[in-house]
Order: sequence, then C-alpha cells, then structure tokens
Amino acid sequence: MGNALFIVWRESAEAMLVVGILYAWLKHRPDAATGMRFLWGGVAAGAGLALVLALVMLGIASTLSGNGLDYFQLAIMLVASALIVQMVFWMRRHGRTFKKDLEANMARNARAANWWGLLIVVALAVGRETAETVVFLYGLGAEKGGIANLPVVLVLGLAAAFATFWLLQQGSRILSWRLFFRVSEILLLLLAGALLVSGIEKLIALDVVPALVDPVWNTSRLLDDSGRLGGLIASFTGYRSRPALLPLLALAAYWIVVCLLLNRSGRAAAAPASAPAKPASPVEGLPRAGRN
Amino acid sequence: MQSIFRTNRLLTSYWLAFACAVLFAASAAAAEVPLFKLVARDGVFEPAVIEVPAGQRVRIEISNEGKTPMEFESRDLKQEKVIPAGGKATVTINAMKAGEYRFFDDFHEKTGRGRLVAK
Repeated sequence: MGNALFIVWRESAEAMLVVGILYAWLKHRPDAATGMRFLWGGVAAGAGLALVLALVMLGIASTLSGNGLDYFQLAIMLVASALIVQMVFWMRRHGRTFKKDLEANMARNARAANWWGLLIVVALAVGRETAETVVFLYGLGAEKGGIANLPVVLVLGLAAAFATFWLLQQGSRILSWRLFFRVSEILLLLLAGALLVSGIEKLIALDVVPALVDPVWNTSRLLDDSGRLGGLIASFTGYRSRPALLPLLALAAYWIVVCLLLNRSGRAAAAPASAPAKPASPVEGLPRAGRN
Repeated sequence: MQSIFRTNRLLTSYWLAFACAVLFAASAAAAEVPLFKLVARDGVFEPAVIEVPAGQRVRIEISNEGKTPMEFESRDLKQEKVIPAGGKATVTINAMKAGEYRFFDDFHEKTGRGRLVAK
C-alpha cells in the first residue's frame, strides 16, 4: 500500500515539477492567460498520450510491435531532454526582453511558436511517466482484493502529487522570485540531464550504441540507485551507482554545453543596454546611439 | 536575435554530434547471442539468480506468467521494460565484466528482486 503510493507519487513528481515550475513562472507574467491555456492544453495532451502509451504497453493496442515502443519512448526521452533545456533558456530570454518584445510584431510570432513548444514539453513530461502509472494501477486493480485499494491509492497518490505542486507554488511566494527561478532552472536542467542518461542507456539496451566501459566504477555502497532514495535521485539527476562510460561522457558533455550557454546568457543579461536585441536600422553598421 | 541563433547552433551541433555517434555505433554487426529464460509471477522471479557468461552479450526472455503487469528494471543492466500479464519480452544485455548485476520488478518492488551473475 505504502509502496504503491510511493510509486504513484514518484511517477507523477516529474510531471508536477515541470507543470508546477511553468505555472509559477506564468503567474508572474502579464500574458499569463495565454500561457495558461497552452499549459493546461499540454496537460490534457499529455494525459491522452499517457493513455495511448499505457494501452500499447498492456498489449491492448498493438500498433507498435517488437522494439517499436522502446524506440518511441527513446524518442520521447531525448526530445523532452532537448526541449527542457531550450525551455529554460527561452524562459530566461523571455523574462528579460518581455517589454521590448511586446512592441515588436515579429517577436509576437516567435512567442506564439514558443507557446507550442511549452505545450509539447508539458505533454511529454506528463505523458511519459504517467503511462507507467496507468499500467501499474491497472495491475493493482487486477490483483486479488486490489480493486478495493485502487481508489484509495489513486486519491492519496494524486493528493501527494498536488502537495508537491502546492509546495512549488508556496516556494515561488516565500522565496524571492530570483532565487525560486534559479532553483527551478537547476531542477529542470538536472531533469533534462537525467532524461539524456536514460535515453543513452535505452540506446545501449537496444544495442544501438556500445556502453564502452561498463561499469566504470561502483558507488552502490555510498548511494545505491536501486534503493528508494537512490532511485529517486537517479531519476531526477542521472546519478548511477554503476555508470557505463558512454552515458557518463554524454552527461559530462551535456553539462559543459549547458554551463557554456548559461555563461553566455548571463553575459548577455549583464549588458542589455549596449547590445539591443533587435536591429533598429535596416542597414548594418549604422549608428544606433540615443535610441534607448 | 543574434544570441538566440548562436545558442541554437551550439545546441544543434551537440545533437548532431550525438546522432553521428549513434549511426557509427549502429554499424557494428550483431553476432549469435545465447538466450536465457526468466519467469516473473506477480513479484517472484524464477530463477532469482541467473548465471551467464561474462564478456559476451546475452539475451533474456522474460515471460510474465502472473496476473498483473510487471516492469523488468535494472539500472545495473540499463534495462526498463513493462510487460503485461501473460506477455513476453526479450531484452539484450551487452557484454558484462564478471560480477553481480541486480534487477527488480518495479511494480512489485518488495519481493521482485533477482540477480544476474556473470562468470
């Protein structure tokens, strides 16, 4: 019972993290109403995706045969990982240039495109893990006497998930906005890295790429990734107690690129006035002084 | 605007490099791979310990003979597969060093635990 509850919470925590952070972020925006529509649209699309995935997993809808489902899940992981990174940097830019953007028509179009990106990120985050919860709950219902437990687990599990969501909203109120946003960024970037590691491991499992060296080291005595806490940390950071070399290299490359991007975006923020985001003049090289 | 494009270019090159690595590795040919059978029954693995040769790829066929779905999962072996009740799935495991590798049934975490021993 406690175990079932933990699984439901763990599987929905990822979705809650993405949805909760975006919700808190949107609340602080003047165009919140538009964004919210895309956010909840993403949640609905994710629920649909979860249901379809669950049916495929249960073998009820066998449209994806053999390894097809694995490749599909792999694609979801890698696309979600890349989109979350893009989302974090989009949030950074959007937060900074929002007022200027409002005045430019071109930027308005670009923003509409990014709302769809937001919808896809949310749909993938919700759909990916929720599918497994659906299959798990289905199994719970099939167990002896499980039917009686099912509504209880469902309600308590969802309550735990919403508590996570609520906590995130409180965090955005209690912490300073800057700090909350910084923490959110780190959590999302960690999650994207974890998805990348899972994706590469899936590629290794499907025998598409070699593991190179497996395992490189063993830290299961310090923190075992098959345990409860270790497992949770593993799914949110990409931690492995016995990592293979290739995912390790990929994670290292990922963090190097992310740090470079953060550094660049930080520098751009430090000098916003000297470098206008949009060319004010049709001819390059014309002086633009006095246009602030 | 310029900084946006630069950001994207860096991200794109990262994924491109990654795709190249995938294609390169995919060209490696597959050889004859021994098959081992594993039965899962509502959180019980049979056998709970499988002995396999080290330094060689092996396949494991998991039959779920229980009444509930199971998820064959192993971080040691980089596997994660949901198998419905009455279903069957085969996973390929890459060459391992000699040692013990744990796997578990994520939907029956308490009882569903087993080990692969590579010798």
